[in-house]
Amino acid sequence: MDLLQPSDSALISLYLAGQESAFAILLERHRSRVFTTILLIVRDEDVAEDLLQDTFIKAIHTMKSGRYNEEGKFSPWICRIAHNLAIDSFRRGKRVPHVSLTDNEILNNTLTVADDGPDDILAREETHTRLRALIQELPAAQKEVLLMRHYGDMSFQEIADATGVSINTALGRMRYALINLRKKMTANSLDYDSNLTPFDTSPVCVQRIAS
Amino acid sequence: MIQILPHSTLLQYVYNELPPERQREVEEALQHDPDLAATCADLLLAQRALDGVRREPRPETSEAILRYSRTFLSKS
Repeated sequence: MDLLQPSDSALISLYLAGQESAFAILLERHRSRVFTTILLIVRDEDVAEDLLQDTFIKAIHTMKSGRYNEEGKFSPWICRIAHNLAIDSFRRGKRVPHVSLTDNEILNNTLTVADDGPDDILAREETHTRLRALIQELPAAQKEVLLMRHYGDMSFQEIADATGVSINTALGRMRYALINLRKKMTANSLDYDSNLTPFDTSPVCVQRIAS
Repeated sequence: MIQILPHSTLLQYVYNELPPERQREVEEALQHDPDLAATCADLLLAQRALDGVRREPRPETSEAILRYSRTFLSKS
């Protein structure tokens, strides 16, 4: 963690004191995970963009009206708002889901390594598109926990509280989500695809410690 | 000594939710239990794969949110 970065709590205080730039930092810090959470639920780029706006507008109103609970963490809070809005939207089912691979806009939005050529970027996006499809195949309860924990940055206890289950149930669902995902990745030959791990792979060294 | 750790503990370890002393216990166990280490590596690989799926919204959307925030400020 970068100690020079102001905390979310500090940014909110600055924002409420009139520093608009503090909100810009807060948005930049959290928009990706909030957007990903929404997109993986609604599966529609345009709807996800709209819901991202709705999410932050709701957050702005809550903060500005003094109803934001300073004791809570911003990230799980905003992701919970996003999750609820996305679930509501998906249940209404107004749109046909589509996540296009060929849309140049998606390529432009993808986080990439600067040195990568267009082929690398395309290959990585293809891999991620397939992985997104595998996430959609997970049972709803597993997918919900996975999105909340991985993209929403909610703790397992917070997920348990939000979904009305015990922490052990939340942990069990996450475990099966990851196991299922790994099985599907293996079956789809995504297991050792370098496109999935283009960055630092150091955490995987845990495997070598055991020998 | 090989410790048997519940998978839920390993999951909390992977997501950095354990207190330091429990974290050390898991790291100790990982050094002595190859199966546990392999399971942990699988979880880390799945976790890493999920990171790659993360997406950014269009810049216009972020700008619209910031614009709204500024409007809200001027009203209050």
